[in-house]
Amino acid sequence: MHIPDGFLSTPVWVSLDAAAAPVIGYFVRRTQARFDETRVPLLGVMGAFVFAAQMINFPVGAGTSGHLVGGALLALTLGPWAATVVMTAILVVQALVFQDGGITALGANILNMALAGVWLGHWAVKLIGGGAARQRAAVFLGGWLSVFGAALLATVELSLSHVAPNRPLFASMLGIHAVTGFIEGVITVAVLEAIARLSPRFIFRGEQMES
Amino acid sequence: MRRLVLAFGFATLGLVAAGVLISSTFPDGLERVAATLGFASRTRNAGLASPFANYEARFFHSRWPAQASAGLLGAALLYGFGVLFGRTLKRKRRNAPRNTR
Repeated sequence: MHIPDGFLSTPVWVSLDAAAAPVIGYFVRRTQARFDETRVPLLGVMGAFVFAAQMINFPVGAGTSGHLVGGALLALTLGPWAATVVMTAILVVQALVFQDGGITALGANILNMALAGVWLGHWAVKLIGGGAARQRAAVFLGGWLSVFGAALLATVELSLSHVAPNRPLFASMLGIHAVTGFIEGVITVAVLEAIARLSPRFIFRGEQMES
Repeated sequence: MRRLVLAFGFATLGLVAAGVLISSTFPDGLERVAATLGFASRTRNAGLASPFANYEARFFHSRWPAQASAGLLGAALLYGFGVLFGRTLKRKRRNAPRNTR
């Protein structure tokens, strides 16, 4: 899912890098103004957890693997504003220290995973969440959407960069990430259920969520 | 809160330590598509040569310590970021004039 350097054409990566910087600046200010201080200890530990989880690839069939993205998980524990900031920090560390995801493609990866990945997960639960069963379904859908939406955006960016013919590009990217998203949804539900057993008040539910 | 932080802390250490052993070595979705559709060769290095590239500390010669130490470093960096960001957030609020909160 992390787009490396060289895949995106210069106009695409320059535009997305230029757009990402002020957007993330705004998210940082907004988080500093509104973040619930009782959740501050979670900022570091959730960032570290999602980073570690992203290191582990699981097979998704046909000789391909996927890994947790964690956008919905962060959104539902930190709130979407702080989750976007933490996911951006994860992507920056991955690009600069581990060379996973390109430096020039950082704006694209932030748009795909830190913005779309987090906010699609957030909106799914905000719009659908309710009682226990609906909340579970909404969390699953949020996890799936966070991966599928991020993959859709990545595919559009690759398409705009003319890396391959559109039809096989969209079919293969979306097909693989539909399966990866399913596993993301299952893992997100499982982790949030575990959190609910430990500290239920630290999970955002549909009716509590800010827009 | 403390239980939750401890649980995620231990879970992170577990993932870093054991993840290497169970992680699939198949290419991920984008790598697979790039290889199949013939654009994998476009990958470029933007001039950075990190000693931790691909989640492997170059100074270890076997896989487990190389990947576990890289994972530990990444987790520590992210934890440090969260702690610093949280402290900055609290300090800014303490210093903010009351009527702008």
